[in-house]
Amino acid sequence: MRNVAIIGCGQTKHASRRRDVNVAEMVADAAWNAMEDAQVTPDEVDSIVDGNMQGFGGIAQAEQWMGEWIGAPGKPVLRIATGGTTGGSVAQAAYYQVASGLSDIALAVAWEKHSDSKEAGATTGLLHVALGNFFHTFNYGMDLKSLVATAAVGAAAGVAVYQARHYMHRSGCRIEHLDMVAAKDRSNAAKNKYAHLQWPNCTPDDIAKTKMIVEPFRYGHICPASDGASAVVFASEDIAKKKTDRPAWIKGLASYSDEENQMMSENSGGTGIIDASEQMACRLSAMKAYEMAGIKDPQKEIDVAEIYQPFPSQELIFAERLGLFDETTAWKATEEGETEIDGRMPLDPSGGTNATNAIGSSAMQRVLEAALQVMGKAEEHQVPKDVHNAVAHGWGGVTNYIVVTVLGDSPRR
Amino acid sequence: MEKEERKETMSVEGTWDIGATTWKGNRILEEYVRGLKQKKIIGSLCPSCGKVIVPPRAICGRCHTRMDERVTVSNRGTVNCFVVSPPVKKGEYNVLGMDPVEMGMAEEGEVLIPVYVQFDGSYSNVATTLENVDPKDVYIGMRVQAVWKEETEGALSDLEAVEPIKD
Amino acid sequence: MMNRRVAIVGYAQSRHQYDMQQTREDMVFDVAKGALKDAGIGREDVDTVITASTDFLDGRTISNVFLSMAVGAYLKDESKVEEDGAFAALYALMRILSGNHDIALVEGHTQASVFNPHQVSSFTFDPTFDRQIGLLNDVSTAAIQARMYMNGYDVSEEQIAGVSVKNLANAANNPNAQRKMPDITVEEVLSSKLYYDPIRELTISPSSDGACALVLASEEKAKEITDNPVWIEGVGSCQDSYIRDRDLLKIGSLQIAAEKAYKMAGISDPFAELDVLEISEKFAHEELMGYEALSLCREGRGKVLVEEGITEKYGEVPVNPSGGALAADPICATGLIRIVEAAKQIREEADGYQIPDVYKALAHGQFGACAQKNVVFILGGE
Repeated sequence: MRNVAIIGCGQTKHASRRRDVNVAEMVADAAWNAMEDAQVTPDEVDSIVDGNMQGFGGIAQAEQWMGEWIGAPGKPVLRIATGGTTGGSVAQAAYYQVASGLSDIALAVAWEKHSDSKEAGATTGLLHVALGNFFHTFNYGMDLKSLVATAAVGAAAGVAVYQARHYMHRSGCRIEHLDMVAAKDRSNAAKNKYAHLQWPNCTPDDIAKTKMIVEPFRYGHICPASDGASAVVFASEDIAKKKTDRPAWIKGLASYSDEENQMMSENSGGTGIIDASEQMACRLSAMKAYEMAGIKDPQKEIDVAEIYQPFPSQELIFAERLGLFDETTAWKATEEGETEIDGRMPLDPSGGTNATNAIGSSAMQRVLEAALQVMGKAEEHQVPKDVHNAVAHGWGGVTNYIVVTVLGDSPRR
Repeated sequence: MEKEERKETMSVEGTWDIGATTWKGNRILEEYVRGLKQKKIIGSLCPSCGKVIVPPRAICGRCHTRMDERVTVSNRGTVNCFVVSPPVKKGEYNVLGMDPVEMGMAEEGEVLIPVYVQFDGSYSNVATTLENVDPKDVYIGMRVQAVWKEETEGALSDLEAVEPIKD
Repeated sequence: MMNRRVAIVGYAQSRHQYDMQQTREDMVFDVAKGALKDAGIGREDVDTVITASTDFLDGRTISNVFLSMAVGAYLKDESKVEEDGAFAALYALMRILSGNHDIALVEGHTQASVFNPHQVSSFTFDPTFDRQIGLLNDVSTAAIQARMYMNGYDVSEEQIAGVSVKNLANAANNPNAQRKMPDITVEEVLSSKLYYDPIRELTISPSSDGACALVLASEEKAKEITDNPVWIEGVGSCQDSYIRDRDLLKIGSLQIAAEKAYKMAGISDPFAELDVLEISEKFAHEELMGYEALSLCREGRGKVLVEEGITEKYGEVPVNPSGGALAADPICATGLIRIVEAAKQIREEADGYQIPDVYKALAHGQFGACAQKNVVFILGGE
């Protein structure tokens, strides 16, 4: 078993339209920042893993033409794209490159440039997840009223709304708690120089004043669509120990996939998921990752968590699924300030996906931010306590993909 | 890497012709709409775990086996989840290039309630809309029954919606 | 050397064809089930699943999202690669070598009838300049490379056609092949429809619908599962520069990948030590260039191997007894099929096209214009 650590991280500034760079420059920016941070030269990197959602940017297999920009020629390169979990899948693959012994220093880079797409938020690319299924239903007299209902709810947010509704019903969480989570995330983001939606000292009242889009989501709850890239450098134990005093060791990881959640299955069949917020895959991924990491009581042993939460309800749902709070209690902990940056269990000190969402890169950012916390490099948004173990999470697919990575300040034994 | 401040770059356009895609579908929905024509709701039964999925699907992934058997489930079910839309307004959004109010798909000011309904006997949620109810009275766990089109045609639109059970 | 021995213990592939009358879901389910059955294990024994498919080719963003159930990945540690299936096998291998997993299921598929793959290839070029011209796709760039190769080493169209003749005739005995032409001649190849000079219909791989799956296991598990494991003795992968920046006269990244694989497997004389090769030759001339990159002969001498029948089934170094990609090219499955075909030879399961006494085989997968990235596997029998 070979220990692997993150020795460097790099990101770009995220904004809704980065028209000052083309996609190659943007990706290179993150990649070079990561290599500089890791104190490695491109020659020392001996494998690369990359990913983004190619339907959004309109370029197929982008690393084939962009390779030069990240030092790819002459090296083994893998491309991975799994929807919202893309960045996390890319990071995990880079870990495996080194853990397998086939590589010693692996560069993982993930990005999204939504503004390259003509429509906001790359709608066509998003619709394409299930466009084939929808067209199939038209063959069988699909009624338009359902489509109107879906459009009225907002197709992209729709899935999260059901999740939130179910969670609130089960747990007693109220809309005020979603306001608290969003406010925390936006003010944390103000301390993160790369984040997109920065709102210093944002309060729940500030969020509550924003327009209600569809109950229980307000405009102030919803994540942005960002342009941006992030990159992480993984290294073997020997190299990590030479390059830095405080590498972020990968102690456990898993990426379980679940049944299609809420959306119909291929060919418009049903799917056997009843509770929209069940997320069994998250529970199992977390259990596996903690087991690998030797963590028996995550509530006590995890010091900080970076959760993939485009919507504030998801921060609460997934925090529970990751075992950081007892079932149905995450909202109470939020009320009591436990999840603040200086709280007992800080969640998303970087602002999370709620403040910055470049889809292909977001899940990698969670790993990156967790690594920064372990390495003590998160500058203004560093949590004010010793970080021994951190967990980074991502979800995606049609809410059926999960990635969980546990990082720590000591290697696996 | 040092970067100096730059203004916007030039942009060039490109397209990818998604119209050139030909997706493939199976014929299982055909069995489903045949059932709808008779005002019956049909699901597929897994021979291994016994779960019934509505609408029917080809494969049970939990057991990794085909689900070829069809069973009829109840027309009554439970609301497992719901969302209340804001009132539909003309000009606010379009569905496949059409304005819903203009095309008569919905009325101005109408509030739509998309729901997930689990029909008794099945282990899946069917997405449909809830009618004949005040949005304030909707709750998870509500009992509902299917609302059928008067003259069913053998189409997905035969199952118009669900409504609260009246008895 | 690898820290753990890993073997192929089971596999399955579809009957590759144009426009299969099956959905992706059914096709993937069949090969996944088939591979598990071949290995004699159940879904519950699998630790991790890696699939290969691309969003553009499948016409679906997150191309594998509706296929997790079909491939058997429900509540399993699953991931994917967005390119040729041989790279998925590489990733699965890495997962097992890490020690975190013992048994992996690998699957790759494309239904080329969904979206014309040649059109997709045109979206891979530099969007600012090359794509704007509207002339570049995988076939036109292959034509440029073929012409450079022919001029550079005095290779004739007839010699290139010889590869098609060999492979399409070989395919006649392969029940899974799409394009089988037992009586094909060089004349027939050279009079087939011209695409971009000198590339013709019968020197391009056909765009197929197809899927392939295999099961990898660590040494301890492999020995429990089968008496006939096919060991992965070496692997290497490499990506070349973008098309305008590389030397098209050779497939440089294939050479680097092969060197890595040979070194790991302890092979110093591939010509003498390899008993059979399965190469992903999307164009006939790529096989000739492949011989050179794989060090079977010197640069420019690939034509000799084909002319003298050295790479025929009865020759000293048979290449593509299955027919290769020229017989069936379900893009993301193609490289994985090559691995399976090579494993078949070692296990003596290639009924009808079995090469005698196969102990060491090479399998190759590629992706990108003019074989921009390559992965090479060296397989060995007990």
